[in-house]
Amino acid sequence: MVYLLLLIFISVIVAFCIRRRGAFQRQKKLTRAQENANLVKVLLELDTDSREELFQLYQDQFGENAARYARNTYQKWKAGSVRPNKQTFSRFLINLPRVMSFDLKCEVLRELREAYCPRGDYNVTVSVDNWKSSLTPLVEEIIQRATSAELPESLQRRLTWLAQDDILAANALLAESQARESRNAMALLEKEFSNIDELLDNAPRNTRISHVLKLPLGSITVQIKR
Amino acid sequence: MSDENDDLIPQKQSLFPLTADDIVDNALQSLDEQQAREVTKKAADEVVRIAVEKRKAEYRSDRAQEEMRNLINNANLLDDKVDDYKINSTFETATGTTSVEIKKSKTNTTLVIVGVVLIVLLTLLLVLLKW
Repeated sequence: MVYLLLLIFISVIVAFCIRRRGAFQRQKKLTRAQENANLVKVLLELDTDSREELFQLYQDQFGENAARYARNTYQKWKAGSVRPNKQTFSRFLINLPRVMSFDLKCEVLRELREAYCPRGDYNVTVSVDNWKSSLTPLVEEIIQRATSAELPESLQRRLTWLAQDDILAANALLAESQARESRNAMALLEKEFSNIDELLDNAPRNTRISHVLKLPLGSITVQIKR
Repeated sequence: MSDENDDLIPQKQSLFPLTADDIVDNALQSLDEQQAREVTKKAADEVVRIAVEKRKAEYRSDRAQEEMRNLINNANLLDDKVDDYKINSTFETATGTTSVEIKKSKTNTTLVIVGVVLIVLLTLLLVLLKW
């Protein structure tokens, strides 16, 4: 009888652990609908001109009513208060790329890279004298990341237009472009730290300064000590 | 002997992985004329865009420098006249955001001094009681 109770007790614990683990994995893995909503959200991060081009194309392909609905709802899609349905996702990310200009596809790809390529985010404490030696390796690492960054395979499988030759070329081009932007940021930091140095020299004693260096595929939060 | 060593040196093969240029070159070979033209045009546009962004960033840096100088002046004025103050400022700079916090708190300093004096007195009292 005691053994039976013990067995039941152990079974309940095991079942509880399995359920918890399953619930955790379900929580972690996004549903297809959430994935679609996130992709549409990324697409709507395009700058005003590109977004206007996108909506115009949407109107040409799917009619005025559909375009009006898209224009009226896009802020809600962006904010996440309304979730785009499967048809909206397919129209924006499967059908429209077939008729998009190369330029617009590049801009969509840029947004996808910024949202889905692995990022490097760092925190570091430096002084105005040694900032360069501390930051250079981190920026180099982010540059390397930009050069070799690939979109996740699952995304590439879903958006097959990403595998077209012109998009592969665009991807390499954007990678190089992001690397150059990061190098430019490193060059501009020289002036930034000279400003910070001036501030620390002249400001009252209890002054604390931090700087967030924003790069296309990463960021470095720098605490600056005297 | 020298000839043997020369044989060991790879003649054309690079030891480095493919560069972005190589990938663009490879991709360009698979494109038709129209696509190749579009890619080349986009590359030129990107060069211009990056240059424009850099110029904008330099302008942001100059503006941030001016704003920082104003902040220092105001903080120093405040520092001379007021015992308690706290300033939080954020500047959009060339490469990101700089946050500055300046604070002066006489109340806190007084509390620390009073605390230290109390501890010293308490220690003295304990030592004297022991004696």
